[in-house]
Order: sequence, then structure tokens, then C-alpha cells
Amino acid sequence: MRIGIGILAFYVAVAILSCFWTPYDPLQPGVGDSYSPPSWAFPLGTDRLGADMLSRMMTGARYDLGIAVVAVFIALVVGTTLGTVAGYYGGVVDTIAMRLVEMFEAFPGLLFAMLVVKAVGPGVLNVIVVLSFAGIPTYLRLARGEIRSRRSWQYAEAARMVGNRSWRVAFAHLLPNSAGPLLAYTSINAAFAALVTASLGFLGLGLDPNTPEWGNMIARGQDGVMTGEWWISFFPGLAILGMTGAFYLLGDAISDVTDPRRRR
Amino acid sequence: MNVATAPIVAAAPLNAAPLLEIENYSGSFRARNGDLTPVLYNVSLQLKTGVITAVVGETGSGKTLVASSILGIQPATFVRTSGRILLGGVDLVSLDEKGLRKIRGGQISMVFQDARAALNPMFTVGRQLADVHQRLHGSGKAEAMEAAVDAIRRVHIPEPARRARQYPHEFSGGMAQRAMIAMAALICEPQLLILDEPTTGLDVTIQSEIMDLILELSRSRGLTTCLITHDLGVVAATCEEVVVMNAGRVVETGSAETIFTAAKDGYTRKLLAASQLGEMAA
Repeated sequence: MRIGIGILAFYVAVAILSCFWTPYDPLQPGVGDSYSPPSWAFPLGTDRLGADMLSRMMTGARYDLGIAVVAVFIALVVGTTLGTVAGYYGGVVDTIAMRLVEMFEAFPGLLFAMLVVKAVGPGVLNVIVVLSFAGIPTYLRLARGEIRSRRSWQYAEAARMVGNRSWRVAFAHLLPNSAGPLLAYTSINAAFAALVTASLGFLGLGLDPNTPEWGNMIARGQDGVMTGEWWISFFPGLAILGMTGAFYLLGDAISDVTDPRRRR
Repeated sequence: MNVATAPIVAAAPLNAAPLLEIENYSGSFRARNGDLTPVLYNVSLQLKTGVITAVVGETGSGKTLVASSILGIQPATFVRTSGRILLGGVDLVSLDEKGLRKIRGGQISMVFQDARAALNPMFTVGRQLADVHQRLHGSGKAEAMEAAVDAIRRVHIPEPARRARQYPHEFSGGMAQRAMIAMAALICEPQLLILDEPTTGLDVTIQSEIMDLILELSRSRGLTTCLITHDLGVVAATCEEVVVMNAGRVVETGSAETIFTAAKDGYTRKLLAASQLGEMAA
């Protein structure tokens, strides 16, 4: 868990730092020679246009981390709310919600994201909306199952017995007990969101091709891999690997922390 | 402390007015195919003000179903076919969810069999009691927590302030039951306290301590108490009135003394013989 938090803290720090300072202007081509290998002047080298890779990587953290975190937050809130309502009240609401979830889950996440982004156009906001939307069904299904299985547990009954309203029983008493699996999934979802953002960038569908986003950068550098300019794709790839790995590590630990019975 | 030395305020007279009356209450379970299986047959009983009434009977006799019907928390598949449940002249059966919410906790509260399962594992015991206090009495956070710690102290849990900060899994079964009683009797301050098998699953020594506590709280506060149990030993030691149920029917009602010494119904006599209390009382 500490490793996960440590790595993510590093990414956050870099993303924040990039708002104030980068060694060079990340959008400025020609600050160095085209395809300069890593050196003291350019620790991560330069790309085809001579832009500094380190500066672009730092700015990329802002995009990839920002998009992943915001998209996951929206999906978590919306999916969990709908899932809790469906799981607690059951009936028609539950049936409709679950059939919709099944329809969405029939599409692979990346394909869905590609189709929608292609239709609505590129841009940070669109990518966030699409990723949130793609995440909602899983949260809904998870929350619904958790709440449904706990609905008739005795502490829920005890909460109703002292006169709590049903929404309060569902959201204030049952949902906290279901938080572990939901929060643990956020890290998997964040890793997925980061990968899809990068994949969309790689496929030229996500953000504007000049945006210093890691997926875009890998796409731009792919020609260089064959001719020896490995650093253009390698470092953004490593950054994505580190971020997704950190999210996975964090997820494993979250469910332990949220449950007082497993807290040490 | 045992029953004999408990600081007991005189029990209410047995001719006291009833606080709650159940009249000809019948109901069935509805199967998936719509078929009704009758489980309660014209159940009629009275819970007299300030009196501890026991509802006894073997497992499956319908006693818990009757108790949950009072609070409107019966299983969704249960269908009432006739009868009324009157609390101060108001038929609880006719109340909607909103009306029942006003009754639950503030007027009628319930202690469940497995207290550790009835306490939410995610919150500290103190916070759970304080939440109920805030909801029912509109108190502030600090005041509610003070009331919670005080209630924990009054049910004889040592180190109440520290215990209030602990989670249910850190409580033993008996301790959790005390906390649950603190919530139902002291925090809710109800007119009627229903205890559903509160000592089942506890050690014999803890059982007697819990019953002492129930007796002490009921008598000192003049609380109308309904004790659902299959343990006749507990009934003999604590209750003034007894309702015997068998297979969904009330088979005999009377004072504890009458039931234990001169039971009329065959099932009651069988129950007494099985627990060997009939002979003891005689």
C-alpha cells in the first residue's frame, strides 16, 4: 500500500509542479535538435520536432492522472448511487437498471469509448464523460449486489426499527458496509481509465494530437522505435505502467483500511 | 447481582390498563405462486402498562412474527388477513410507513437476539447510540455522545467512555447485548420495549446478568416490557404476565403464578414439564 501511495504521490507532485515549472515549454518545438537522445540538457531526450520530452512527460501527468481521477470519481458517485437505489428498493427500478447495465457491458470498454469519442469528437471533457460513462455499469452492479445481500441483515432491520427513513438505511447504514469492494474497484477502474485515455491518444481519437498526453506521445514515437529513437515511446509507456501499477497496489489495500474489523 | 438482590421497584398491578392490544390478528405467508399458508390464527393478547409480559412458545410458534408485526417490520411475504394492533387507541396496522416511523424507536423499541449482528460493524458503538439519540431527541452531536456514554455506563459496561469508541466486533456477546439494551431502553426512551430472545446464545451467567439488567431497567422506569422467549426459567424469574403460543395460536394467557402453578392448557403443561418448572413452582 505504501508503495502504491508513494508512486501516486510522486505523480501528483509532478502534475502539480508542471503547472508552475517545466524545464522547457512542453508545447515549444525546436528547443533542442530533433531526436536528441537522453542527455544532461534533455534528460529524457527530445521528440521528432525537438520538443523536450521531460517537460512533455511532466505535463502529461496532469492530463492522464487528472482524466483518470475525475472520470473514476464521477463513475463512482453515479454508479454507486444508482446501484444502492436499485439494490435497496428492488422491483421495477432494479430490473430496468440491470437490463441497461447488461446492454452496456456487452460492449468492450475500449470499443465503446472509441465509438463515442469518434462520434462526439476529441477533447478532455469528452474523454472524461465517456470514461465515466463506461465505468458506471460496474459500480452500479457492484453496489447493487452488495446492498441487496445486506438489505435484510439485522443491523439494517435495527436501523429501520429505530425509525430511520429507508434512504438513510440504504445510504448511511448499508453503503458504508459495502464501501470496501467499491473503493477497491476504483483503483482498477482508474488504471483502466488511464489505459483507455492513453489508448485513445495512441489511436489518435482522444485529445488533440499535439496535447502532451502519454498515449499521444507513444503514438508519435512509434516510428522511432524501429530506427533506434526508443526514448520517445519508452518513457511515456513506463509512466503509464507505473501509474496503473500504483493504482492496482492501492486498490488491494483500500478494502482492508475501510473495514474496522481488518484495520490494524 | 442476581434477581433476588436487584433493586426492584414494585411491579405494576396486574389490573393495569393495557398499553398495547392485539385483537384477532391472523396472517399467512404468500408463496411465489400466490398460495397463502396461514401461520397466525386469531392471536389476541394485551401488554399492560408497566408490566413485564412474556410471550413463550417453541421455535416456529409465531411469537417473533407477532412482535415484528407490532413494529411493522414483518417479512415482505407475510400478509395480514385480519385483526388489529392497538397502541393507545391507534391501529398500528392501518399506519403507513411514515406513521410507523414515528412509532418506531420513540414509542416502541426492540432488542434483537443477536446483538452483535444488530449493531452496524462499521461504526463505533458510541456513535450508533449517539446517532439514535440525535434522531429521536434532536440533540447536538456532543450532547448525544454524552447521552450515549451515560447509557453505556447505566447498563454496567465498565470504562464506558473507552467502550463507546470501540467497534461492535470488540464487544463480547453479553456486552453487545447490554449496548443494544442501552440503545433500545435508555436512548430511545420508549413506552414499550420488546425483547426478542435477548439471552439466547449467551452463557448462563451472562444470561442472568442480562435478565437482571432488563428487570432493573423495566421496573425503575415503569417500562412496559414484552419478553419473547422459549426459556421458561427466565420467565419464572422475571415476568408478571405470560402468554403461551403454539403453532400460531395463543393457547393460554394469565399471570406468571397461575401459569406456573395451575396451567389449564395441555401444551402449557407439556412445556412446563419439559423444563421441569411446573414441579418446581408447585
